[in-house]
Amino acid sequence: MPTIEGSEVRRIVVACEAGMGSSVMLTSSLNQRFASLDVTVSHLPVNRLKDGDADVVVCHRGLAKRAAQAAPSTPVIAFDLFLGDPAFDRLEAALKDGSTIGG
Amino acid sequence: MADVAELLDRDAILTDCAAKDRLEAVGRAGDILARLGAVREGYSDAMVERELAFSSYLGEGVAIPHGTDESRALVERTALVYLRFPDGVDWDGQVVTVCIGIAARGDEHMAVLGGLARVLGDQERAAALRAATDPDEVLAILRGGVEA
Repeated sequence: MPTIEGSEVRRIVVACEAGMGSSVMLTSSLNQRFASLDVTVSHLPVNRLKDGDADVVVCHRGLAKRAAQAAPSTPVIAFDLFLGDPAFDRLEAALKDGSTIGG
Repeated sequence: MADVAELLDRDAILTDCAAKDRLEAVGRAGDILARLGAVREGYSDAMVERELAFSSYLGEGVAIPHGTDESRALVERTALVYLRFPDGVDWDGQVVTVCIGIAARGDEHMAVLGGLARVLGDQERAAALRAATDPDEVLAILRGGVEA
Protein backbone atom coordinates (compact mmCIF):
# COMPACT_ATOMS: atom_id res chain seq x y z
CA MET A 1 0.00 0.00 0.00
CA PRO A 2 1.24 3.53 -0.75
CA THR A 3 2.57 5.65 2.10
CA ILE A 4 2.91 9.35 2.94
CA GLU A 5 4.66 11.25 5.71
CA GLY A 6 2.20 12.74 8.21
CA SER A 7 3.89 16.13 7.82
CA GLU A 8 3.00 16.20 4.08
CA VAL A 9 -0.73 15.59 4.52
CA ARG A 10 -2.92 18.60 3.69
CA ARG A 11 -6.11 17.03 2.28
CA ILE A 12 -7.99 14.12 3.84
CA VAL A 13 -11.07 12.68 2.13
CA VAL A 14 -13.62 10.55 3.94
CA ALA A 15 -14.83 8.10 1.28
CA CYS A 16 -18.37 6.86 1.67
CA GLU A 17 -21.31 5.27 -0.07
CA ALA A 18 -24.00 7.97 -0.06
CA GLY A 19 -22.36 11.02 1.53
CA MET A 20 -25.35 11.92 3.68
CA GLY A 21 -24.79 10.29 7.06
CA SER A 22 -21.76 8.93 8.84
CA SER A 23 -19.25 10.43 6.40
CA VAL A 24 -20.74 13.89 6.93
CA MET A 25 -20.54 13.36 10.67
CA LEU A 26 -16.97 12.14 10.49
CA THR A 27 -15.92 15.05 8.26
CA SER A 28 -17.24 17.48 10.85
CA SER A 29 -15.60 15.62 13.75
CA LEU A 30 -12.20 15.29 12.06
CA ASN A 31 -12.19 18.92 10.91
CA GLN A 32 -12.78 19.98 14.49
CA ARG A 33 -10.20 17.55 15.82
CA PHE A 34 -7.54 18.73 13.33
CA ALA A 35 -8.49 22.43 13.58
CA SER A 36 -5.04 23.38 14.90
CA LEU A 37 -3.30 21.56 12.02
CA ASP A 38 -2.91 22.69 8.40
CA VAL A 39 -5.26 19.93 7.19
CA THR A 40 -8.70 20.04 5.58
CA VAL A 41 -11.16 17.16 5.65
CA SER A 42 -13.94 16.68 3.08
CA HIS A 43 -16.07 13.72 1.96
CA LEU A 44 -16.68 12.06 -1.39
CA PRO A 45 -18.63 9.02 -2.58
CA VAL A 46 -16.24 6.16 -3.24
CA ASN A 47 -17.49 5.78 -6.84
CA ARG A 48 -16.26 9.34 -7.61
CA LEU A 49 -12.94 8.97 -5.78
CA LYS A 50 -9.70 9.03 -7.80
CA ASP A 51 -5.98 9.56 -7.25
CA GLY A 52 -5.20 13.22 -6.68
CA ASP A 53 -8.37 13.94 -4.69
CA ALA A 54 -6.65 13.47 -1.35
CA ASP A 55 -3.30 12.87 0.34
CA VAL A 56 -4.98 10.30 2.57
CA VAL A 57 -8.36 8.54 2.25
CA VAL A 58 -10.28 7.50 5.37
CA CYS A 59 -13.14 5.02 5.03
CA HIS A 60 -15.06 2.26 6.75
CA ARG A 61 -13.41 -1.15 6.45
CA GLY A 62 -16.35 -2.35 4.35
CA LEU A 63 -15.41 0.17 1.63
CA ALA A 64 -11.63 0.04 1.95
CA LYS A 65 -11.09 -2.33 -0.97
CA ARG A 66 -13.16 -0.18 -3.35
CA ALA A 67 -11.40 2.96 -2.14
CA ALA A 68 -7.97 1.39 -2.74
CA GLN A 69 -9.03 0.35 -6.26
CA ALA A 70 -10.43 3.82 -7.02
CA ALA A 71 -7.30 5.62 -5.79
CA PRO A 72 -4.47 3.05 -6.02
CA SER A 73 -1.66 5.55 -5.33
CA THR A 74 -3.30 7.08 -2.25
CA PRO A 75 -2.90 5.64 1.27
CA VAL A 76 -6.24 4.37 2.62
CA ILE A 77 -6.93 4.21 6.36
CA ALA A 78 -9.76 1.83 7.30
CA PHE A 79 -11.77 2.07 10.50
CA ASP A 80 -14.40 -0.18 12.09
CA LEU A 81 -16.15 2.21 14.50
CA PHE A 82 -17.65 5.57 13.60
CA LEU A 83 -17.16 6.74 17.17
CA GLY A 84 -13.83 6.41 18.93
CA ASP A 85 -11.96 4.10 16.55
CA PRO A 86 -8.22 3.93 17.45
CA ALA A 87 -7.43 4.50 13.74
CA PHE A 88 -8.38 8.17 14.23
CA ASP A 89 -5.98 8.47 17.19
CA ARG A 90 -3.17 6.94 15.11
CA LEU A 91 -3.94 9.31 12.22
CA GLU A 92 -3.88 12.33 14.53
CA ALA A 93 -0.58 11.19 16.07
CA ALA A 94 0.98 10.75 12.60
CA LEU A 95 -0.21 14.19 11.46
CA LYS A 96 1.32 15.74 14.57
CA ASP A 97 4.64 13.92 14.69
CA GLY A 98 5.05 13.58 10.91
CA SER A 99 5.45 9.80 10.95
CA THR A 100 4.56 7.52 8.04
CA ILE A 101 0.91 6.81 7.19
CA GLY A 102 -0.08 3.71 5.22
CA GLY A 103 2.15 0.91 4.01
CA MET B 1 -24.62 27.98 10.66
CA ALA B 2 -28.05 26.37 10.68
CA ASP B 3 -29.59 25.93 14.11
CA VAL B 4 -30.59 22.38 15.05
CA ALA B 5 -34.29 23.35 15.07
CA GLU B 6 -34.11 24.59 11.44
CA LEU B 7 -33.30 21.05 10.29
CA LEU B 8 -35.05 19.05 13.00
CA ASP B 9 -38.62 20.22 13.38
CA ARG B 10 -39.99 19.93 16.91
CA ASP B 11 -42.94 17.97 15.45
CA ALA B 12 -40.50 15.52 13.85
CA ILE B 13 -39.21 14.40 17.26
CA LEU B 14 -41.18 11.32 18.33
CA THR B 15 -39.94 9.90 21.62
CA ASP B 16 -42.29 6.94 22.10
CA CYS B 17 -42.03 4.72 19.00
CA ALA B 18 -42.02 0.97 18.47
CA ALA B 19 -40.84 -1.12 15.50
CA LYS B 20 -40.40 -4.85 15.04
CA ASP B 21 -37.11 -4.50 13.18
CA ARG B 22 -34.70 -1.94 11.74
CA LEU B 23 -36.27 -1.88 8.28
CA GLU B 24 -39.63 -0.95 9.78
CA ALA B 25 -37.90 1.77 11.80
CA VAL B 26 -36.10 3.11 8.71
CA GLY B 27 -39.30 3.03 6.65
CA ARG B 28 -41.08 4.94 9.38
CA ALA B 29 -38.36 7.62 9.39
CA GLY B 30 -38.69 7.90 5.60
CA ASP B 31 -42.47 8.21 5.79
CA ILE B 32 -42.21 11.07 8.26
CA LEU B 33 -39.67 12.86 6.05
CA ALA B 34 -42.19 12.51 3.20
CA ARG B 35 -45.02 13.83 5.37
CA LEU B 36 -42.88 16.84 6.26
CA GLY B 37 -42.51 17.55 2.54
CA ALA B 38 -38.73 17.13 2.78
CA VAL B 39 -38.60 14.24 0.28
CA ARG B 40 -40.60 12.92 -2.66
CA GLU B 41 -42.00 9.45 -3.16
CA GLY B 42 -39.34 6.77 -3.43
CA TYR B 43 -36.91 8.23 -0.91
CA SER B 44 -38.15 6.00 1.90
CA ASP B 45 -37.49 2.92 -0.29
CA ALA B 46 -33.99 4.25 -1.02
CA MET B 47 -33.38 4.54 2.73
CA VAL B 48 -34.33 0.88 3.19
CA GLU B 49 -32.13 -0.10 0.22
CA ARG B 50 -29.18 1.78 1.72
CA GLU B 51 -29.77 0.21 5.13
CA LEU B 52 -29.75 -3.29 3.64
CA ALA B 53 -26.46 -2.57 1.84
CA PHE B 54 -24.71 -1.12 4.88
CA SER B 55 -25.90 -0.70 8.47
CA SER B 56 -26.31 2.92 9.55
CA TYR B 57 -25.55 2.05 13.18
CA LEU B 58 -23.22 4.66 14.67
CA GLY B 59 -22.67 3.53 18.25
CA GLU B 60 -24.11 4.36 21.70
CA GLY B 61 -27.52 3.01 20.68
CA VAL B 62 -27.90 5.47 17.78
CA ALA B 63 -28.43 4.85 14.05
CA ILE B 64 -28.60 7.49 11.29
CA PRO B 65 -30.38 6.01 8.24
CA HIS B 66 -30.50 7.97 4.97
CA GLY B 67 -30.96 7.43 1.24
CA THR B 68 -28.50 6.55 -1.48
CA ASP B 69 -26.42 9.07 -3.44
CA GLU B 70 -28.78 8.53 -6.41
CA SER B 71 -31.87 9.29 -4.29
CA ARG B 72 -30.53 12.76 -3.42
CA ALA B 73 -32.57 14.02 -6.39
CA LEU B 74 -35.73 13.15 -4.41
CA VAL B 75 -34.79 15.46 -1.54
CA GLU B 76 -36.69 18.78 -1.54
CA ARG B 77 -34.89 20.21 1.48
CA THR B 78 -32.36 18.99 4.02
CA ALA B 79 -34.21 17.73 7.08
CA LEU B 80 -33.90 15.32 10.00
CA VAL B 81 -36.42 13.22 11.91
CA TYR B 82 -35.84 11.82 15.38
CA LEU B 83 -37.42 8.55 16.52
CA ARG B 84 -36.86 7.15 19.99
CA PHE B 85 -37.62 3.49 20.66
CA PRO B 86 -37.85 3.00 24.46
CA ASP B 87 -37.84 -0.81 24.06
CA GLY B 88 -34.99 -0.73 21.56
CA VAL B 89 -34.87 -2.10 18.01
CA ASP B 90 -32.54 -4.90 16.94
CA TRP B 91 -30.17 -3.30 14.44
CA ASP B 92 -28.20 -6.09 12.85
CA GLY B 93 -27.11 -7.34 16.27
CA GLN B 94 -26.94 -3.92 17.97
CA VAL B 95 -29.75 -2.34 20.00
CA VAL B 96 -30.92 1.06 18.80
CA THR B 97 -32.81 3.46 21.02
CA VAL B 98 -32.45 6.57 18.88
CA CYS B 99 -32.89 6.58 15.09
CA ILE B 100 -32.19 9.88 13.32
CA GLY B 101 -33.42 9.78 9.72
CA ILE B 102 -31.61 12.06 7.27
CA ALA B 103 -32.63 13.66 3.99
CA ALA B 104 -29.77 15.77 2.64
CA ARG B 105 -29.37 17.93 -0.45
CA GLY B 106 -25.86 19.05 0.55
CA ASP B 107 -23.87 19.45 3.77
CA GLU B 108 -26.35 21.72 5.57
CA HIS B 109 -26.60 19.21 8.42
CA MET B 110 -22.85 18.79 8.93
CA ALA B 111 -22.68 20.88 12.10
CA VAL B 112 -25.64 19.05 13.64
CA LEU B 113 -24.09 15.63 12.94
CA GLY B 114 -20.73 16.83 14.27
CA GLY B 115 -22.59 17.92 17.40
CA LEU B 116 -24.25 14.51 17.62
CA ALA B 117 -20.82 12.85 17.46
CA ARG B 118 -19.62 15.03 20.35
CA VAL B 119 -22.71 14.15 22.41
CA LEU B 120 -22.18 10.44 21.74
CA GLY B 121 -18.48 10.71 22.57
CA ASP B 122 -19.48 11.65 26.13
CA GLN B 123 -21.18 8.71 27.85
CA GLU B 124 -23.20 10.88 30.24
CA ARG B 125 -24.59 13.07 27.48
CA ALA B 126 -25.23 10.03 25.27
CA ALA B 127 -27.25 8.42 28.08
CA ALA B 128 -29.17 11.67 28.62
CA LEU B 129 -30.04 11.77 24.90
CA ARG B 130 -31.27 8.16 24.91
CA ALA B 131 -33.38 8.88 28.00
CA ALA B 132 -34.86 12.20 26.82
CA THR B 133 -38.63 12.06 26.27
CA ASP B 134 -39.28 15.79 25.81
CA PRO B 135 -38.59 17.17 22.28
CA ASP B 136 -37.24 20.40 23.78
CA GLU B 137 -34.77 18.39 25.85
CA VAL B 138 -33.65 16.48 22.73
CA LEU B 139 -33.10 19.79 20.91
CA ALA B 140 -31.22 21.24 23.89
CA ILE B 141 -28.84 18.23 24.13
CA LEU B 142 -28.11 18.30 20.37
CA ARG B 143 -27.62 22.07 20.46
CA GLY B 144 -25.18 21.60 23.36
CA GLY B 145 -23.11 19.26 21.17
CA VAL B 146 -23.00 21.74 18.29
CA GLU B 147 -21.92 24.58 20.56
CA ALA B 148 -19.34 22.53 22.48
